[in-house]
Amino acid sequence: MTTLGIFSGLWKIDPLAIALAIISTFLYARSQANRMTPRTALFATALLFGAIAMVSPVAGLADGYLFSAHMLQHLLLLLVVPPLALMSLNEARPTRARSASEFALRHPAIPWGLGVSAMWLWHEQTLCNAAAQNGLVHGLQEISLLVMGTAFWWPVLAPRAIDRLAPLATILYLFTACIACTMLGVIITFSPVEVCSIFAHPVDRFGVMPVLRNDWGLSAARDQQLGGLLMWVPSCAVYGVAILGAVRRLYREDRHELGSNGGALS
Amino acid sequence: MSVALSPLEHRPVNAEESGLFSWVGTVDHKRIGILYLLTALFFFAIGGTEAMILRLQLARPNSALISAEAYNQIFTMHGTTMIFLVVMPTLVGFGNYFVPLMIGARDMAFPRMNAMSFWLFPLGGFLLHFSALTGGAPSAGWFSYAPLSETPFSSTQGTDYWILAILVLGIGSVSTAINLIATILTLRAPGLLITRLPLFVWMTFVTSFLIILAIPVLNAALVMLLIDRQLDAHFFLASEGGNVLLWQHFFWTFGHPEVYIMALPAFGMISEIIPVFSRKAIFGYELVAASTVAIAVLSFGVWAHHMFAVGLGHTADMFFTASSMLIAVPTGIKIFNWIATMWGGSIRFTTAMLFATAFLVEFVIGGLSGITFAVAPIDWQVTDSYYVVAHFHYVLFGGTAFALMAATYYWFPKMSGRLLSERLGKVHFWMMVVGFNATFFVQHFLGILGMPRRVFTYPDLPYWGTLNMISTVGAGIMGLASLVFVANIFLSIKRGALAGDNPWEAWTLEWATTSPPPHDNFTEVPPIYGRRPLWDLDHPSDSTHALEPPKDMSFDKSMVAVWTFVASETGFFVILIIAFIFFNASLPAGGPTAAGSLDMKRTGLFTACLVSSSLTLYFSEKALEKRRHVAAVSWLVATIVLGVVFMLGQANEYRGLFERGIVVNSNLFATTFFTLTGFHGLHVTLGLIALGVVLARTLAGDFKNKSTSLLRSVGLYWHFVDVVWLVVFYVVYVRASR
Repeated sequence: MTTLGIFSGLWKIDPLAIALAIISTFLYARSQANRMTPRTALFATALLFGAIAMVSPVAGLADGYLFSAHMLQHLLLLLVVPPLALMSLNEARPTRARSASEFALRHPAIPWGLGVSAMWLWHEQTLCNAAAQNGLVHGLQEISLLVMGTAFWWPVLAPRAIDRLAPLATILYLFTACIACTMLGVIITFSPVEVCSIFAHPVDRFGVMPVLRNDWGLSAARDQQLGGLLMWVPSCAVYGVAILGAVRRLYREDRHELGSNGGALS
Repeated sequence: MSVALSPLEHRPVNAEESGLFSWVGTVDHKRIGILYLLTALFFFAIGGTEAMILRLQLARPNSALISAEAYNQIFTMHGTTMIFLVVMPTLVGFGNYFVPLMIGARDMAFPRMNAMSFWLFPLGGFLLHFSALTGGAPSAGWFSYAPLSETPFSSTQGTDYWILAILVLGIGSVSTAINLIATILTLRAPGLLITRLPLFVWMTFVTSFLIILAIPVLNAALVMLLIDRQLDAHFFLASEGGNVLLWQHFFWTFGHPEVYIMALPAFGMISEIIPVFSRKAIFGYELVAASTVAIAVLSFGVWAHHMFAVGLGHTADMFFTASSMLIAVPTGIKIFNWIATMWGGSIRFTTAMLFATAFLVEFVIGGLSGITFAVAPIDWQVTDSYYVVAHFHYVLFGGTAFALMAATYYWFPKMSGRLLSERLGKVHFWMMVVGFNATFFVQHFLGILGMPRRVFTYPDLPYWGTLNMISTVGAGIMGLASLVFVANIFLSIKRGALAGDNPWEAWTLEWATTSPPPHDNFTEVPPIYGRRPLWDLDHPSDSTHALEPPKDMSFDKSMVAVWTFVASETGFFVILIIAFIFFNASLPAGGPTAAGSLDMKRTGLFTACLVSSSLTLYFSEKALEKRRHVAAVSWLVATIVLGVVFMLGQANEYRGLFERGIVVNSNLFATTFFTLTGFHGLHVTLGLIALGVVLARTLAGDFKNKSTSLLRSVGLYWHFVDVVWLVVFYVVYVRASR
């Protein structure tokens, strides 16, 4: 098989992904009263990244072939799809979420812990191997990432401003999460720890290993290093962008109160 | 309309306000600030003299003015002194003096802790220099790369004293950072919202977070190195399974944020000075403030660019090239904002403004050479050459030190009541600019020509001798310029022109009080409607906004302090835990292992004790809130008993291991195990002592009428210690024992 073959042939027909896409599109269309708004584009982007993570060859390679593909999938489901989906919502929302978001605001450590433990738990050797081999565990992993990701991002990007943490607290919330995933990224990248042993010796069901190992130059060690770096640098970039968003909110909220500041000459 | 500050009960006043002893015992933030600055000036004289000796030795090829050993010692001391004893304390000194003044407060949040932080600074300095009397100063460089810093290669006690000194200084820095965060969060004058903070205060605030997160990483690494050296362990000795690169990772995880710890407050000073002398408000306040946060976040993700030459692999190099180039963006934003502030302003080139302007030029040069390093292949060519020396001196001297000199000329009148001489100031400035560029610009060429750094002499290759001679002459001019500076300070203290309250017609609150400020800083603080309160005061017609109290969250200062302390401690334990995971993933065969030596079930029982002690402490807090003192005391006693039982369990575990001959230097499992659990045990012990103090005060009836803040603070620390243990238990007893 060739590189082209991987991109054309390793698509994964995942019933779970298709079901999720259909249900969420249906719910979203209903919440928007079937009208297109600029927000629809955000939702479509979320769907697109969801598809890259769960249907595209990234998903195929994540099934026991490449640790880095698994990591890409992991990050998309945890750090890209949920925030985009949250941003695509408008303020009207089910009233049942009210008490949950009040709880999250009072105990931000809990959504924070969910988001961070989603990173750490699924990279425990046993769980990571199980998810790469067993379809059921893998589905569970994908759903849990989406759920934990949504929980994590809710206090930051909840549709209604009153459900969000104060800007300074948001910065701290995201910064500490960035540190936590940096730590894991560092361990995966530089340490001799074998995170998911399954990726070291994949069962080559589709005969693509020669392409991955030789043409792509991804030895098992380099594959793990790439995965660690993905977890570390791009995901911290996501947190960084969100932090800048929080700083912007900090100054936005107080702008109308700032009297004589705006650039006046004396 | 003015706001009278309420008298604050936390402001202790010395009975005696004059004489030498009043300075030793002072808890006044202004005096402590001046003590920081004077002590740093003293160490600057030492570090500068060391630099002159180095430059004299390097002036000619094949020079034998000093020996290689002496050169290594002096150059290690020069780097360590300048970073830890000059730049950081000077920034802290200015922060100490001006942060409370600029936010309209009477003092720091914790004045006594402030004094402690200061006195740790001379203690660290003396520990470092005392090493010279024990058979040789440290000579492994300010970075103390392993294995050079390990006993086989550095057998004198110099490195041990270096470690102790840096630990002491680090503890001082962390406590200062905690104090600054608590001060800025809790003591702002009414109306001074977080979004209206002077940029120097904002950047000091952000820097404080960098300090509490970065310094513990260094402390953990130093502790490991000390255990290697004193207890014969092998964290960083490859011959016994240790890993020399781990030291570099730890060191630069601290080291790169450290660069910004030294740069951000300097950026803040520049952001104060340029607007005042351009007669314009800062251009793009929000962008300057936000880019500071971006720098702080990114600074933790780029350290590996210090390690391109060690062979991290192409994949890692690529990512770090990208992230390192990214960090140039927020820094560039600041530069453009400062230029835009000057653009079209009516600029007054006082000495302060001259230094601020020179800062812009020199820092851009240093920044640009920094970007060239971000490209791994260029880095491989010029790393460990004089190109690097040129780069970081442009950042740290042309950048930070120039900003510090600008700040000195700007703020000296406030501190002393007298202006520094502008005539001597201009002489100082021009000599400094000429001397600085002569010294360091030519070093770019030396580096590209291939001259390695950290060598005590060099062969007579084409141009090397000439360029080095230029560099040495430049250093001489800088030395003379520094003498002019010191002379200016001491002459102007006595004879300078009187400054008045606000000699520069500046806009921030420190200029709203007398020069020097009275003991309590302000009798009243002007109303604050925006970012430039004194400008608003002069232009009442433009200030139509009513005064509202800050709408930010209100904070309890002791909880802020404990939370930031806990964050810092978390950083320390994370590094110890990473070291454990790292080394236990692939232990060399033969020695004891977690699976073979630890009893998970028995320790699990003691873990249950510790966890339930958190619960009992929680009950005690609840009982105290409801004023049920007997119940509170009983639960507190139960907590202490459970904690003691846990410690007995640990002691028993250690005894068992010792009996089987497993000691700290047996192998890397034993080393990492004893280090991690030992430090945790130490924290439990400290927690028990703190709980004992709380118990004693409860029994003495201290909490009958007062708030329960002390118990809540100690409680938070205790819960933290328990959570750390849960992680340790999982990593050490469950995961590694599989």
